[in-house]
Amino acid sequence: MKLIVFILFVSFLFFGCAPKVIQPGVYEERIREERGTITPEKAESKTETKKDSEIIREAKIEEEDILKRESKKEKKSEDVHFSDVLFDFDSYIIKSEYYPLLDSLSGWLKSVDKVIIIEGHCDERGTQEYNLVLGQKRAEAVREYLLRKGVDPKKLKVISYGKEKPLDPRHTEEAWAKNRRAHFKVEQ
Amino acid sequence: MRVLRIVIVLSILAVPKIVYSKVYLDVYATGMKKMVIGVPYFKGEGISRLRVDIPELLQKDLEFSGFFICAPWSLIDRELQDEGIERNEISFNKWKSIGIETLLKGKVKEKGEEIVTEIYLYDTSSASLELAKRYRTKKDALRSLVHRIADDIIEAVTGAKGILSSKLVFVAGPKGATDIYISSIDGLELRKITDFKSITVLPSLSPDGKYLSYTSYREGKPNLYVLDVEKKSYVYVDRDEGMKVGREWLDRKTLLYSHTSGKYSSIVKLDVESKTRKVILRKEGIITSPSPSPDGKTIVFASDMHGTPQIFSMDMTSGEIKRLTYNGKYNVSPSYSPKGDLIAFVSKIEGALEICVMDPKGSKVRMLTNSGEINDSPSFSPCGRYIVFSSQKGGKTGINLMFVNGENRRSLSITGQNEMQPRFTK
Repeated sequence: MKLIVFILFVSFLFFGCAPKVIQPGVYEERIREERGTITPEKAESKTETKKDSEIIREAKIEEEDILKRESKKEKKSEDVHFSDVLFDFDSYIIKSEYYPLLDSLSGWLKSVDKVIIIEGHCDERGTQEYNLVLGQKRAEAVREYLLRKGVDPKKLKVISYGKEKPLDPRHTEEAWAKNRRAHFKVEQ
Repeated sequence: MRVLRIVIVLSILAVPKIVYSKVYLDVYATGMKKMVIGVPYFKGEGISRLRVDIPELLQKDLEFSGFFICAPWSLIDRELQDEGIERNEISFNKWKSIGIETLLKGKVKEKGEEIVTEIYLYDTSSASLELAKRYRTKKDALRSLVHRIADDIIEAVTGAKGILSSKLVFVAGPKGATDIYISSIDGLELRKITDFKSITVLPSLSPDGKYLSYTSYREGKPNLYVLDVEKKSYVYVDRDEGMKVGREWLDRKTLLYSHTSGKYSSIVKLDVESKTRKVILRKEGIITSPSPSPDGKTIVFASDMHGTPQIFSMDMTSGEIKRLTYNGKYNVSPSYSPKGDLIAFVSKIEGALEICVMDPKGSKVRMLTNSGEINDSPSFSPCGRYIVFSSQKGGKTGINLMFVNGENRRSLSITGQNEMQPRFTK
């Protein structure tokens, strides 16, 4: 209660007078440096680099801690001799023309003791966020198919890269069609 | 209690006339009338570069804001430049006759490493003083001073503070090697927050700037991280299977994000302090981009539950879901204005991605960009009058800023690299 009274009283002082004449001490602002990040234009590059490297150093330290804590690191992987499953625009439905490829893949998987990573990708003509999820659904659709063919779920890993890792970086229909894909890699 | 009542009454009586709103930004109108402002040289002791520098930088800021047209100095004759700054020294009619509606007079004094600046804002028609302020700054904070003055002038004239002192959080870097940065709008206060050189997406600061959330592949797959910015340590990490992406905070400690794995997609509400998660919606297919209304009663999101990607709203109390978008086959990435009056989103129109706005019921849809490019990631300034977004031209992606009616579009380049997913920090 006393605090409210105090705040209101201070507000009254602050706003109370129509600022016709500047009185020293009243209605004054002190612009302070914000944590030393405001730098003059000329010295900017030097100071900025220093500040950047400080922050980078701190970020690196943090990264190392995480890596120590994290037991499962990214395993190495390499491409498999199965080609990509391509998708239609905005779709994660597996087209029938890819059934033979996937049947063949499921056969191979059942015969080897390997883990494959199914990567879901999108073309650039969607938003980054939506494409990350669309890529996930594409990879999941392929996994679903392989599971129904009797592949051991432990052999299947799924990851989406959205539109962040296009196979063909050009901005043509041809490139986009190639990028809307599920790609296979085998874990080493 | 009696004392309290008296103090309240006096405070109300004493509220100054800050709302001078001669410039009003109407979202649905085009061709907003800008205010013509004159910013002559500042007065001061001795010959100081600042008497010219400050007005010059100030004009750049005022024009950047989109609310003003600054009268060129060539229009202001020697007599007017030499005028005094007090009301009785000003020939308001002369200023009016050259088309100047608002006049900013100033005085600057250098005291060692300190600068003391006074500004006086006049309306030339009524010859009234609308704003008078004094600022003390260190010389090396000159840019910040000018931004602050500009924001205060904008507030006096439009009713809300400008964005010149605002900061953006965004992602920058070449594909596959992006990191998070926070920068002032002018690009001079740039801070690199992460150094992963991996795929990092969708950074978002909590309302008071305490927490930073983002999705990163630094551990080999997309995990959602919530960082305590000050302590530089993680308060929460979601390493579950599947895609976890989020962008919007419900309140200072609650993050909303979507989690897609297997058949289902969910919207998750995460309290980063108690570290508890709650699924608030779960459906087959895709659900993503949850964005809450400022009163927290509604969440809008994108989903393909009706076949094509569209935007829906969900009432947080009843759980009722309504579809908002019906134009076209692709409407995603919604973002609710902090003013609660608009929802910005991305729509696929003739193969390009354009930024659009609609009202909370899904009506009054307006397309704001019309560039045939890939525009993405719209979000509002805290005052609700600007939208910041990313735009890809050719192979390069950059941060763009515009009014909520699509006007005053500007391109920012802060790091010189591809810059994406910008958000205002406050």
